[in-house]
Parts: sequence; C-alpha cells; structure tokens
Amino acid sequence: MNAVLHLASVSRVHGEGATEVHALRSVTFRAHPGELVAVMGPSGSGKSTLLTLAGGLDAPTSGSVWIEGTDLATLDNAGRARMRRTSVGYVFQDFNLIPALTAAENVALPRELDGEKGRIARRLALTALEEVGIVDLADRFPDEMSGGQQQRVAIARAIVGERRLILADEPTGALDTDTGEEILRLLRARCDAGAAGVMVTHEARHAAWADRVVFLRDGVVVDETGADEPEILLAGDRA
Amino acid sequence: MRGWRPALRIAWRDALRHRGRSILVLVMISLPVLAVSAAAVVIKTAEVSGVERADRVLGAADARVRTEGRGALVQAPDPLESGWTPVGEVDLDAPLTEDELRAVLGQDARLVPIEDGSAATRLDDRVFDFSTIGVDLSDPIAEGLFELEAGRLPDAPGEVVVNGAMLDKGFAVGDELDVAGTALRIVGAGRDATAYDYPVVLGSSQDMRSGAVNLREWLVDAGPVSWSQVRELNAIGAVVVSRAVLADPPDDASMSEQLGYGTGQEETYAVAALIIVMALIEVVLLAGPAFAVGARRHARTLALIAASGGTPAQARRVIIASGVVLGLVASVAGLVLGVLAGWAALPFVQRFNGEWFGPFEAPWPYLAAIVVFGLVSALLASVVPAWLASRQDVVAVLAGRRGDRRPRASTPVVGLVLLGIGVAASAYGAVTAGGGSGAFWIAGAAILSVLGMILVVPVVVSTVARLAGRLPLTARYAARDAARHRARTVPAVAAVAATVAGVVALGIANASDEESNEATYWPQAPMGTGVVSWGPNVLPGEEAPDPEPVWSSIEQVVRETVPGVEVERTHGLAESYDPNGWTSQQVVLPPDLEDGEGWGLSVYGPSVAVSDTAAGAGVVGDVLGDVDRALAAGRTVVFTLAAEGDVEASLVEETWREGSEQAVDRRVHRLDAVMVPWDQATSGPAPASTILPTAVTDELGLEVMTRDLRLTGDLDEATETRVDEAVRGVTDGTYTYVERGYERPDEAVVVLLVLGALGGLLMLGGTLTATFLALSDARPDLATLSAVGAAPRTRRRVAASYAVVVGLVGSVLGAAVGFIPGVAISRPLTAAQMGPSGEEAGPFLAVPWLLVAVIVVALPLLTAAVVGLTARSRLPLVARLD
Repeated sequence: MNAVLHLASVSRVHGEGATEVHALRSVTFRAHPGELVAVMGPSGSGKSTLLTLAGGLDAPTSGSVWIEGTDLATLDNAGRARMRRTSVGYVFQDFNLIPALTAAENVALPRELDGEKGRIARRLALTALEEVGIVDLADRFPDEMSGGQQQRVAIARAIVGERRLILADEPTGALDTDTGEEILRLLRARCDAGAAGVMVTHEARHAAWADRVVFLRDGVVVDETGADEPEILLAGDRA
Repeated sequence: MRGWRPALRIAWRDALRHRGRSILVLVMISLPVLAVSAAAVVIKTAEVSGVERADRVLGAADARVRTEGRGALVQAPDPLESGWTPVGEVDLDAPLTEDELRAVLGQDARLVPIEDGSAATRLDDRVFDFSTIGVDLSDPIAEGLFELEAGRLPDAPGEVVVNGAMLDKGFAVGDELDVAGTALRIVGAGRDATAYDYPVVLGSSQDMRSGAVNLREWLVDAGPVSWSQVRELNAIGAVVVSRAVLADPPDDASMSEQLGYGTGQEETYAVAALIIVMALIEVVLLAGPAFAVGARRHARTLALIAASGGTPAQARRVIIASGVVLGLVASVAGLVLGVLAGWAALPFVQRFNGEWFGPFEAPWPYLAAIVVFGLVSALLASVVPAWLASRQDVVAVLAGRRGDRRPRASTPVVGLVLLGIGVAASAYGAVTAGGGSGAFWIAGAAILSVLGMILVVPVVVSTVARLAGRLPLTARYAARDAARHRARTVPAVAAVAATVAGVVALGIANASDEESNEATYWPQAPMGTGVVSWGPNVLPGEEAPDPEPVWSSIEQVVRETVPGVEVERTHGLAESYDPNGWTSQQVVLPPDLEDGEGWGLSVYGPSVAVSDTAAGAGVVGDVLGDVDRALAAGRTVVFTLAAEGDVEASLVEETWREGSEQAVDRRVHRLDAVMVPWDQATSGPAPASTILPTAVTDELGLEVMTRDLRLTGDLDEATETRVDEAVRGVTDGTYTYVERGYERPDEAVVVLLVLGALGGLLMLGGTLTATFLALSDARPDLATLSAVGAAPRTRRRVAASYAVVVGLVGSVLGAAVGFIPGVAISRPLTAAQMGPSGEEAGPFLAVPWLLVAVIVVALPLLTAAVVGLTARSRLPLVARLD
C-alpha cells in the first residue's frame, strides 16, 4: 500500500557554524492509510521538527518529503498551503483555535480558505463536529468551551473535507486523563476509517493507541516497534 | 516616587523591547509637538516687539518722540505695538516745541528731527510708491536705522540712500530720483532696519519731508527716559517710544483699559482652547491603541503583580509609566526637532514677509507648554488602558484566558446624552447666530459631540461584529477581532471618526459659505463681457497725458491681439484732472425719486455715458428700443431700479481745488430725461447710470472722452490674459476685467485641498495604527491560519479587512457627528447676507456630498488597498512548532 506520508532521508539543520543544530539527521519515515504512528523521544530529539516538515510548514535541508505521492519541494508556498487545506490536518497541544470565530467557523476554515461556498463549508463542518460528538456546540466561541471540547473542535478541523493525513503534536498535553483518552479514541477511530495519523507524544500510555512507535534521539530514529515490512526499509526511493 | 521606580523600569525596558510600538507612539506624539514648536519659533522670531523693535526705530537714540498737536493722550508702554489714544481735545495748530520737550527730558537733551513719510516717483512710464525716512544718517544717533552695503551715506542736501527693494525696482547707485519735482541723487544702498521687500529712500530731513502738516518727530539723546517722563510727555501731547521703558515695561493693565483693548482677548483664548482640546483628543486617540496593546501584553505581568499582593493602583502604574516614558521622550524629541525645523524654515518664511525678522528666538514658556501638552497626551492615552488592565480578572489571566470585564452598560448611554447635549448646544448656537457667541457654542458642542461619539463607539463596534456572520472569512474575522480587542479598536475608530467629523463639519461650512458667496455675488459687468479701463498715474504737479492717443494705441493692441473679439469704445463725460484740481459731473433726480425706486442701481461703466445709440453705450436686453427712441429724440436716459416716465433731471458740475473744502465753481444744467427701469436680476449691472445724447453735450459744451473698451465675444481666460498683458505693455494704469460670474477663489480651493490632505493623513494614521497593532496581536491566529492551509496572501486580506472595518465604522460615525456642528455653523456663517439686487439672502446650507462620499466610502477603501498592498504576506509559524 502506498504511504500517505513519506520522509526520505530527511535532514534539517538550524543555524550555521558554531550555532549549528542538527534537528533531524537523515530520517526516513512512512505513514500508511489506516495507521496511527506515535513519535516519541526526549525534548530536543526532533519530534516537532518532524511534524513541521511533514506538514510543509518548514522545508528540509536535505532529503525529500512526499505527501500522497507529491514531492513538497516541487510546490511553492501557495501550493504547500493548498496541500495543508486539502490533505493534511494539524492538531496542536494548545488547540490553536481562532478566538474570533465560532466552533463551526473554525472547523470550516480550511474549506473556506479553499474557496468553498460558506454554506457548503458549514455543512462539512457540522458533519465533522458530528463525528467528534459536539455538533450542539457549533455556534459557541472557543472561550465558551472546555479544553476537551476545544480539542474536539481542533480534531474536527483536522479531519474536515476527508483529509487523509492527521499530524498531532501532543494533542492531549493540555487535557486531563479522561478527556485525553477520549481524544485519542477519536484519533484512533479516524485512522481506522482510513486516514494516516502521526502523533507526537511523550507518554508511553498514549503510544499504546498507536500501531507503531518511532523513537527519536538527537535527530536520529533509534528504534521502531511494530510491524514494518523490511523491504520498505530497504527501498527508500519508492513513494 | 519610590512606588514608581519598578513601574518606570518595566516601562523603559518594554519601550526598548517593543521598538515598533514605541516608535508608533513617539511619532504620534512628537509630530504635533514638532509642528507646533516649529511654528512657535517662526512666529516668535518673525514677531518684532519690545526691545527688538527699539533698535529698528530708535537707532542709537534713547527715545523717539512724536507729536501731532497739543492735548493729553494715553499710550501703551510699546505704542507701536499697542497704540495710543487722545483723552481730550487735540489742538493741531499748536504743535509742541523742542523747549517744551526739553522741560521734561532735561535741558541738555539732544533732539534730532526725523521724518517718516511716503512719496511716489516715476520710472519710465511707471509710477510707484515708496517710504521715506528723513534723518541725518551721519549723526551717531541714527546708527542702526540703516546699514550701508554699497556707496556712501548722504553728506549733502539732495543726496539719498536706498534699500535693496528700491534697487530691485530698477534704480542703481548714481541714478537720479525725482521726488515731487526735486532731483535727488542716490549715493548709496543698503539694508533698512525694518523694510524687507518694500522700497525705502533715506535722506536728510529737509529732502524727505513727511508731507504731514502737523506731525513732528525727534530721536532723543538724553539718557534713559523713564515711564514717568513718558507719562509727563503724554500729558502735553507726545507719544514716546522709550528704550528704557521697552526693556522694563510697567504693568500696563490700567493702560489697556484706557486704550480700550482686551475686548477680543476672551475670544482668542476660547479659540485657542478649542484648538488645543481638539488636538489633544486627536493625539490621545491616535496614541491610545498602542498603549492598549501594551496593556494587553502586560496582562500576565499585571496578574502576577496582583497575585503577589499588588494593588490595582500598582498595576495601573506599570501602564501609565510607559505613558510617562514615551511621552517624555516624544515631547523632548519633538521639541528639539521642532526648534531645529523652525530655525531651518526661517530664511524660507522671510521671503514671504515684508519686514525683516528679528533675531532667532525660542519662546521657552510656550515651548515648555508644548512639551507638557505632549506629556499630557501620552498620559491620557495610557490612562484608559491602564484602568482597564487594573480591573482584569486575575484568575482568568493566570489560567491563560482573557480577563476582560464586561463593559458598563451605562457608557453608551452617557455617550448618547453627550451627543444630545451637543445637538442642543449646536442648535442654540445656530439660533443665536447674530450674537457672535454662536460660533463658540457650536465649537464647544462639537467637542461634546465628539466625546459622546467616543463613548458610543464600543457599542457600534460590537454591533458590527454581531452582524458580521454573513461576511467573507477575513472580513468576519476582522470585525469579530476588532470587537474582542475593544481597548485597541475603540480609540483608533474614534480617531478616524473625530478626523472625519472635523473634515465633514468644515466641508459643510465651506460649501455653505461658497453657496452664499455665489448667491450674493455682485457681477461687475454683464456675463461674458470684458472691460478694459485705464486711468493715468500722475504725480503731483505733472500734466496728465492726452488720453485719446493712449486709448487709440490700447484699442489697436487689443484688436491685433485678439482679432476675434469685438471691441467697442464707451464714451462718457471727461473727468478732468489738472495739477490744480478737478471737475466732477453728477446727474441728480428730483428729491422724491432719490431714494428707493430711483437710485441704487449698480453700474459697471462710466457714471455718465455719452452715446446716440443704445448699443453704443452697451445697453442690452428689452429696454434697447426705449433707450434708442429717447436718444434719437435728443433726450437723456436715466436708468432706475423701478421708476419710469419723464423726469426733469439736472447735471451738476463742480470744480474743486487741491486742499479746499468747498467747490470753487458749481454749474447746474437742466436735462430733459426719460427714466428707464433696469432689471439687474436678469441683465446684471447697468452700463451707465445716465446716457446723454451728443446733442446735449454739444449744446452744453461738455468735453466727451473715451472711458473704457467693452469687449464681447469669445473671452476665455487665456484670451483675457493675452489682452491684459498686451494693454499693460502699452501703458501703466490699465485694468482688464471679464465677468465670468462667481468663481471660487484659489485660496478656498487650496484650503480645501490642505484640509482634505490633512484629514486623509490622520485617517490613514488612525487606520494604519489599528491595523498593524491588530496584525501583531493576531500573530497566533495567523499562525493557526497558516497551519490549516491559508495561503500567504491571507495575511494581506486580514490586514485590508481590518482597515476597512476601522475606516468604514469610523468614517460613517464621524460623518454623522460632523453634520451636527457643520449644519449649525453654516447659519452664523451665511445668515443675513445681501443678494446682488439688494434683497436679503441666506442662511444657506450646502452639503458637499461628493466630499462626504469620498471620505466615507472611497478613503477607507483606498486605505485598505494601501494596507493590503504594504502588509507582509508571510504567515508566522505556530509557536509550539517554531
């Protein structure tokens, strides 16, 4: 099966000379449809860099990032933005909802930015909110909701419009245990429904929800658990 | 002070850390400080008063004494500035003598006569005026009155020196100057102490008689002349400019009362106070948003202060301290730059001024007041954000939520009440327009209305946000975000609104004034008709030139210059002038017709025209036939407002002699006349008030001459200019006029343009401030937008939407408020006017809809376009992922 996300020998160097920092060193990594991958590692191991590169928010120093068969290096800024609207959904630790917009409007955001008509975008948003179970809060503003509710809205925004790659950065970090579990269940369900998920976390408990766990240390993949076909590791150039 | 130290330290560090915001505040406050202090320097330097003026009029003398006759008077310590007035009868025939002055000034006082006057001379065919000063320039007492730059000082009668403006007229050292028949030789040139661009000739007091019969003036060398000596001299009828008194003026309160001034003072103060208050409001509103953003950034710091036991007052101090720091820096920077700018502008401004400026002068008391203004505006701008910040919900802020308290419901109500009072006061001011104080009521009401409006702005902004649901994404975001950050949005919107209100009010006032001017315009000739007139410039004693050859050359030149234009001479009775006197002619109607329907017509040609046909006199309209018939019958035609029919008029000729108070000769001729009513409303002014047929002038032996040329045909402005230049080339003393109806004076257009530009600039300032502060506040939101796939240009769209929200809300609100004083002020401006036919006209009200539309719609959109194009299009990264 083709990977939704494919990082091929990706390196990212910040700074130059004495201040040079190797955030990632020649990392190769894939996420397939229906698969939830947990990325773990200590602080500064390059987890977050991996997510920014995967979403095209940043570009690798060397190597290439492929999303659904497209090399991000071939896209300009606008093209990468379009990719985020249509193929990639982000979920952040501190939700990052826009306080001036209602829940439904926050969820509809990627569709509206994509030029979808307001009414259609809202319908898609309500469908996504339905999936995360808070359609009744559609017209509330973020500061009128609890943290768990806000993170559900963020997940709804990440999945609206059938996007196939969900990138989650410590999605439960700001939530209590029970709420966190619910959020993970939602993510798991979304992946079971066919999306590929990559979740950065530092709690082994959460990693249990994943099909596979990738350990990073000092920018290098030091361990990988779970099933991964050996030939994929060898054939790094296959998309 | 101790309680302030941490607050000031935080403010100072914060100002350095957030340079962009600090610079914004610095610019908003230092620019007005700069402009006003530069103006203060220029005005104070240009103003020559007190001791400065002493050197110019006194030379090296201790005093200058002037008398026109015997009789007590009171004078101000500086009579040249504040004047003098006689307190009883003045005996003009008994001037003071030098001995009488010495009785007061001391027996050994030296009195050097000085004469101040004016004269005229001829250079080729031009006659021009100049000032004259007659004083012995070689006397040390005159030192400083004139600074020689070329040639030498006069040392014999008949020799004079001139200033630079005289050389510019075409004279040179060595030339002869003919003044009243006396030839004077120019032996030197230089700089007159006072006159800059006005020609001055200085010579001995014998050559430069002032021409006034009773006026006598001396420079006095007698040691310091005290105020009591001045009063003694006043008592006998002398006005004294004393160096000692100017240097140390006595308290002149009693003086000013007697001189009758002080009446206009209150009005000047009121106007100044109004301008200062409006400027303060505007500056505070423009700088306010930056402090609001600063306060929000400090929300956590303030919450921590509160959590560790700080009082609300201590929290407030942190924000107010930034007002102190930025206000001080801005005021001082503005002051320094302003004084420098004023100094640099002096040579440029001097060119537009007829008098030499004084030495460079920085009026420190005023400048100190200006610095205080800057500081106060910064403090006021920081007070509201500081107060709001001290009321925040500490728990919410520490938990990472927004800690705003809900705004009080009473605020907009107070605003509406203020607006209501503003409307009422404006109406009162408009109704009592005649009283003179109407304008103050209206201006005061304008300030109340603007303050009221500011209090209403939050409600309007919230309402706009509530209605924004249907708008496209970026506009919806901008409207909602604006409402969420009211502390930042409200002052910006209010700044735009206050500017627009001012421009709309002045625009309405100006348009109404223009409409009134147009409606009450008195045409000088029938529409489209041109008149070339000429009168010889003759110096006393000169024979006037024979006018007919001059008229022939003028007519010939006009015909050659503009062949397509019809040229006709108007003839009239000669107004003869000879060196000994002149003769006047006047047509008089019977006494019962003199008022009302008889006279009162406005006339553009000669008073008494001479012609045998109506067309020849320039008559137009349906009276042509009547006039022709009367003239053909040898009868005189008298134009009236309404009276008609036959009348017995008389022609009164009076001959006057120079200096006499009664006519030396008076002849009255009976005229068989017909009165013809002239309809001014449709035909404009009449070509003459009376037309005599040649039969009458021949019979009475009256001299007839050309009075002017009447031009008809295609007379556009270029043609008028060509005609004017051509006839000026023929001779001196011509005047060309073409009636085009009312034309807006150039200055009025310039004033409007300046007003519009200033308004646009302030509006742009307000909008840009709010927009870019909003953008910097919106960083996390923009990062989120980027993460969910917004294209980079989204940032520009958000910026432009923000500008539209701030600009549109502000301008609509401001335009509405501007109507209140605008409509009100149009009444005192335009009431009780007189129309062209003498009827009562006004008040007028005209609304410049185009201006209003441009300001309310076009300007915000333009600003938004500017903002959209200048905003960066890169989106920031989400902080967690950075």
